Amino acid sequence: MRDRELEKKLRLLELQLENWKKLHDLITYGLDKAKPIISSEQERQFTELRAYLLQETEHILRELGVLADLSGKTMNVLQRGVSIRAVRELPNEEVRRLETEWNAVFTKLGVVQGQLKARRKKLAGQTIFAYYADRLMRRTAPAH
Amino acid sequence: MVEVRQKRALSGKIPALKRATFLRNVDTRLLILNADPVFEDRALTMIETMEGVEKHVVRTLAEAVSVLIGENFDAFVVEGPAALALEQATNARQHFPSLKITCLLSERPAEESATAAEQQNIGMILNSHGSNRVYRGLAKFVGSLDKRAGTAAEGVDPCHSLIGNLNQFSAAEILQMSCLSQRSGRFTFKSSRGNSEIYLQHGSVRHAIYGSLEGEAAVAEIFRWRQGRFYFEEGIISQVQTVDRPWPHLLIDNLQKFDETLELAGG
Repeated sequence: MRDRELEKKLRLLELQLENWKKLHDLITYGLDKAKPIISSEQERQFTELRAYLLQETEHILRELGVLADLSGKTMNVLQRGVSIRAVRELPNEEVRRLETEWNAVFTKLGVVQGQLKARRKKLAGQTIFAYYADRLMRRTAPAH
Repeated sequence: MVEVRQKRALSGKIPALKRATFLRNVDTRLLILNADPVFEDRALTMIETMEGVEKHVVRTLAEAVSVLIGENFDAFVVEGPAALALEQATNARQHFPSLKITCLLSERPAEESATAAEQQNIGMILNSHGSNRVYRGLAKFVGSLDKRAGTAAEGVDPCHSLIGNLNQFSAAEILQMSCLSQRSGRFTFKSSRGNSEIYLQHGSVRHAIYGSLEGEAAVAEIFRWRQGRFYFEEGIISQVQTVDRPWPHLLIDNLQKFDETLELAGG
């Protein structure tokens, strides 16, 4: 059995995580001590990723029920990372904060993804009838 | 559960009609191009409810091409405004001639665009219709995807004079080597995309076949494969001739086409 809502949440989460990882790749590139050249194409990709994340984050986090936990941290990362060049010029303390906040969001999203996948796996082994029968059996008896 | 159902299906414990529907829909892989999969997700939501359908969503054509080079998909679905979606689908068709492509259009396309798409074997579903109709269209499309043979595993046969993996040697490399040494025989390529054969005669490609494709179109398809196995059987000659051009011309043309595909994938 497939739960439409669950599938939607998983899709949103995958899209968010994918962009979040790509953002990390570009930030890491910017912070590379060997200081490779930052191309205009990379800056364009960075801006595009930020644009996706800025417009989608609030909606996705709300759908996943983690808006209160992650909204602030996500916005901090997106606001600090104006461009790859700007990330490179950040002071060390700011860079550490950026990495910590990126990691906090990544960790939480990863945990939620695991939980949703576990639910999907459980549901895959059930028929619609078994699902509703299970829900009926779990209903608590009204208090007298 | 899926495995149990699959076993039951194969052992004939479920009715034939259900079995056919079930087997057809097992692990159909769709690549979906949607520029805004978070907010414009009507069709995605429908696809998500289909059993046995695995999807991969990309936002740009460059991403789609890059994914298609590396992985095998049963079909490519392009979602968006009519003009843009048809243009992207046509573009993808140039690079992937045997791929099943359909467009989910947000409005009715111009007549000439629709005709051009039909000529290129690109399906169209109007996403502006009611949900049931769109769902039926999508389900029909997914149901029409015939599953090709999976990865074939064959042992070493003494009559195979050359055996190898495509991830180590590309089709272009081994064909070049065989043509230079004036070989005659049959190359069989086996991958998750299906099986194909190329027949050589005195160092020239005489015949090629891959699914419904024949001749140069089949050669072009095999040139893109980066995974799978191949073997060569010396002395098997084809009676049919579907390729007329000399090998160096074929090689240059196909390598050029592949470079263009890679360029597109690079964005």
